[in-house]
Amino acid sequence: MQTALKVKSEEYGGELIQLVSFNLEKEEYGINVLMVREIIRMLNITRVPNTPHYVEGVINLRGKVIPIISLRRKFDLMEAEYDKRTRIMVMEVVGELMGFIVDEVSEVIRISEKEIQPPPPVVSSGIEQECMAGVINQAERLLVLLDLEKMFSADERRIFSSVA
Amino acid sequence: MSIDCEDQELLEGFLAETTELLEKLDDDLISLEKSPDDAELMNRIFRSIHTVKGASSFLGFDLLVKVTHKTEDVLNRLRKAELTLNPQIMDVILEAVDLVKTLVADIKAGEIVERELEETIAKLIPFLSENAVEARVLAPLFAPQKEQVAEPRQGASESEPPQPAAPASETAPLAPQIAAPVPEPPVPAPRAAAPAPQLKAVPAKEPAAKPAAAKGEELADNSTVRVDVKRLDDLMNQVGELVLERNRMIQLHSDFQTGLDPAGFGDDFGKLSKRLNFVTSELQMQVLKMRMLPVEKVFKKFPRIVRNLARDLGKEVDLQIIGEETELDRSVVDEIGDPLIHLIRNALDHGLETPDERLAAGKNRCGTVVLSAAHEGNQIVISIKDNGRGIDPDRVSRKALEKGLITEEQLAIMGSREILDLLFLPGFSTKEQATDLSGRGVGMDVVRTNIRKLNGIIEIKNEVGKGSEFILKLPLTLAIIQSLLVEVEREVYSIPLASVIETMRVNKSEFHMIGGQEVLKLRDSVLPLLRLQRTFNCAESTADRNTCYVVIVGVAEKRLGLVVTRLLGQQEVAIKSLGKFLANLPGIGGSTIMGDGRVALIVDPMGLVGGGEAALVRKSA
Repeated sequence: MQTALKVKSEEYGGELIQLVSFNLEKEEYGINVLMVREIIRMLNITRVPNTPHYVEGVINLRGKVIPIISLRRKFDLMEAEYDKRTRIMVMEVVGELMGFIVDEVSEVIRISEKEIQPPPPVVSSGIEQECMAGVINQAERLLVLLDLEKMFSADERRIFSSVA
Repeated sequence: MSIDCEDQELLEGFLAETTELLEKLDDDLISLEKSPDDAELMNRIFRSIHTVKGASSFLGFDLLVKVTHKTEDVLNRLRKAELTLNPQIMDVILEAVDLVKTLVADIKAGEIVERELEETIAKLIPFLSENAVEARVLAPLFAPQKEQVAEPRQGASESEPPQPAAPASETAPLAPQIAAPVPEPPVPAPRAAAPAPQLKAVPAKEPAAKPAAAKGEELADNSTVRVDVKRLDDLMNQVGELVLERNRMIQLHSDFQTGLDPAGFGDDFGKLSKRLNFVTSELQMQVLKMRMLPVEKVFKKFPRIVRNLARDLGKEVDLQIIGEETELDRSVVDEIGDPLIHLIRNALDHGLETPDERLAAGKNRCGTVVLSAAHEGNQIVISIKDNGRGIDPDRVSRKALEKGLITEEQLAIMGSREILDLLFLPGFSTKEQATDLSGRGVGMDVVRTNIRKLNGIIEIKNEVGKGSEFILKLPLTLAIIQSLLVEVEREVYSIPLASVIETMRVNKSEFHMIGGQEVLKLRDSVLPLLRLQRTFNCAESTADRNTCYVVIVGVAEKRLGLVVTRLLGQQEVAIKSLGKFLANLPGIGGSTIMGDGRVALIVDPMGLVGGGEAALVRKSA
């Protein structure tokens, strides 16, 4: 995350970060644009047995097989039907390509690092504290900044090594 | 001391060439022992060692030069018939060659280590003296000779001459002659100069150098490939064909778009895809062939191993090697070395009887071990066959009971196949006491583990009193495999065809339950069943049909029936990894992409079979 694209800007008086914002159960989340490889529409997902419940399966991304994770399930949100706005965000997490299913991808926004506030001490939603990198409070929106690398370095390792 | 070589390329060339020569040398030396009069062979051996000497002196590896020079001298005398070959001389030459190998491994690892050369050189030197011809007559003398070598360490180099005189009185007059011309000065001189540091240096450096040497060897062996120029040309041709077909395809597409000939399009496209299929499969074969190595690479170290083993065991063995030109994938070649050594060792130690026992049983004095390799469809079949006493199932089951590996009840339901399978249990051994060679019950476990890793199958043929045969069936390659596509409740899975033994359609009412395990009676054996639908937690589809298919898979020595809904057919698939997050799923070995772009998972029969005995394996590990 710290390798973010940083632009010195006198206007903001801080470093600029570009975020891809996406929706999940009407909440808005942001993720560093540099983590995102591509955003694709839903494909045929092959279920993989005996994996954690939030692993949807695998897809064929131009000849490469990559795992797909449902962020809704990961965050213990209600299941929803996939529709034409559902997207898979392909990201590089801990050196591996992975796809994350989100409800909708909206835009790329620029924010100043100064606008990022530390996450509130008690998180009432299902999002695990550890993968929340901060909260961005702009005039009319509240954005949760995610750090998936953190989530998967700790969590995945634990779960997958127990399977092994 | 690190190696200071100006020209890295030169050094690499030297290493590659020397390694090759040395490998061949071992083989040649053993053959020479069998046919000492083969002048051509003798000359080839001489040339090899001469080449190594020349190259190492050019590059300034003094230690190597020293050893090779003396070895060459001895060989030269053999060549000129001034010496006659006998096992003692051969032992010393082999020892010298081993030393050369160690030195080359040091160079490969990038560190020259001070090694004890004098001992080996000192053994070579007696054969160089003028009177060494007579030394041959005094063969028994060479046993003390070894002690004599150790002697100078105590600084008693002067006491050497009388030593050989001791053993046989008739040779006494000759003895001083033998001993005196032995060019003593070179031996004691360096010793006297620096006896202490030499002795100290060796034990201190060796442990550190060993792992480095082993590592270096692995890297060097796998990082580059030598490819036949003709194969490369063939490959180029195929690629040319592929380009032509691509152009045709582009042409066809543009014709179709401009609407020139929509009617003939389907026809042309059909032809095109046929040609494309042909070209790509040819191309695939070519690339595969480039990864192939003749199995000789593994086989050629066996004559030497067998020779040494046979001598240690006091048995007479004739090793026959058949089909060493059979080629298989590099990755497979790397893995089969160890299992084969264990199997050969077993054949010699457990299989073959001593000469006396053999004569008593009305057999030839000399036992035979046949090591053969051959292609069989998409598999390579390696067999190790001996004409010894065979495996006695009663003895095996008794031992397994004694060692508490199985219970009486388990034994009661076992067929003869299952009893032989007990051999593979970790901890199993028929030996009362562990020796250097065998008895710890590790060997067959190694065989099983490695063969499993390769998705191979082991079969045992056994005839008590007449001998036994271990047959290993291995896939040709690990990157592209033939697979059987099956459907499990609407999901498609692919099972490596190499592990599939047979498939059958059965009625679910034929399943039986034994001890909470579903089984199927198959001819004379009882086959454990595994419902893939349950293992993989597939949602059961509503239509509960009564018939289903059972795919019988074999992993190493184990057999298991997988229950699936439907068989879809056979297809060649390229294995794709699932990435490190999903790498260790039980029963899933990888994935592949189907013709329609969907991903199908590849079943890993080894994981499914291994599931039940994971505890056992862990205990032994």
